[in-house]
Amino acid sequence: MPTPAKEPSAERDRCRSGIEGLDNLLNGGIPRGNTVLVTGSVGTGKTSLSVEFLIHGARSGENSLFISVTESSEKLLANLIHYDFFEPRLLKEGRLIFMDLPLIYERLGLEKPEFDLQDTFILTKVIADLVREMKTKRLVIDSVTSVCYRLKTQENIRQFILDLGTALSGLGCTTILVSEISPGAERYSLFGVEEAIADGIITMSNLERRGDLLRTLQIVKMRGTTHSRAKYVLDLTPVGVLLVPLLKGGSIAAG
Amino acid sequence: MASDIADRLMELPESSAVSLRMKTEHYFDVVRAILDVFAPKKELDAIYVTCTIPSASIINALEVLEIPVDNIWFVDCISQIMMSPAQKHEHAIYVESPTMLENIMLKVEYLIRHSASNRKDLIILDSINSLSIHNNMKILNEFLHILVNTLRSKNAYTLIFSMEEYETDEVRQSVNLVCDQTISVKGD
Repeated sequence: MPTPAKEPSAERDRCRSGIEGLDNLLNGGIPRGNTVLVTGSVGTGKTSLSVEFLIHGARSGENSLFISVTESSEKLLANLIHYDFFEPRLLKEGRLIFMDLPLIYERLGLEKPEFDLQDTFILTKVIADLVREMKTKRLVIDSVTSVCYRLKTQENIRQFILDLGTALSGLGCTTILVSEISPGAERYSLFGVEEAIADGIITMSNLERRGDLLRTLQIVKMRGTTHSRAKYVLDLTPVGVLLVPLLKGGSIAAG
Repeated sequence: MASDIADRLMELPESSAVSLRMKTEHYFDVVRAILDVFAPKKELDAIYVTCTIPSASIINALEVLEIPVDNIWFVDCISQIMMSPAQKHEHAIYVESPTMLENIMLKVEYLIRHSASNRKDLIILDSINSLSIHNNMKILNEFLHILVNTLRSKNAYTLIFSMEEYETDEVRQSVNLVCDQTISVKGD
């Protein structure tokens, strides 16, 4: 009789997203310290999922930081009140912090269209210092694609994601990097580098089936845990992201 | 007749999934039995998934029957596809089309969580015949299987309406596969 393969003896500590469906798909949550790429085209729910991850973290006592690159924090904060589980005290107590990256660029004198390797190191160090000083356990950068636009070369992007991931993981911080891709793109990130370095990839997309447009989510990769690889349909509701399995009986045109 | 149906429903154990077979003429007797007797007596929150008649029409009928809708919520899968000027009711949420079966499951899940009361839930699917017009049987079978088992795991009651006049063998078999029992509503 063949010997069964040995299961790893020590399970990695989990960072529960608080999104019940997602945590179930991940067998308990994101392995703590992982850097996860949440990727998809516009309107697929990437920001909503990421914000919910932070709110649940803040509610459970973990300092949570949202670094906004494209949208102003003010606008994002205005949307928070729609969530049943959001409590304004989280902002007052500093458990949940929203920060605009353009303001950080300004303070660092990095208001330029292109970053060289030195600038990339400075940016990584500043983000890691923020996480250390604020004792941040959950971080979202929305979007990393906008940051990568300034890094220009694949080497710089690789270095940035690798250094950032290593620094944050060392600090016990679980990170979501939001990645924007065009609809129908055949890779998970615009520059093709981010996906190779991230510990996890969650892809969100729009699936058209017989004229109906469904929002879907699929976990493509997640280091440190077994996980579902099936596609799920999601809804963005005031009680948060809800997930159900994608039904396969019908004729599916794409996806 | 409504009290006879209600009596049979009262005997159901928790988490039951039941197929309710009826002639169209008995539809309102069944609705009265469920929403005016069974659900209030058992202190259940009712989630009424309508794929046949717009929720506004059902709500109007319930008003005539003097059945309060305080603990009844509607997942309306037909109003939007009819392109009728939507009169949104605060107890109704809308799915664009009865073909969006996943979205029906998601709205039911949302309403179960949204109520967040200690009351148990009763989900009424009206009707399997209407759903079979818009969906092929493969996807419909899959939908019923997932929906009923999910609701069972939440200790909710599931009642699936089937209109005898429009029932096919395929539809009957599909419902029988997921339901614990069938209640056939007969006239006096």
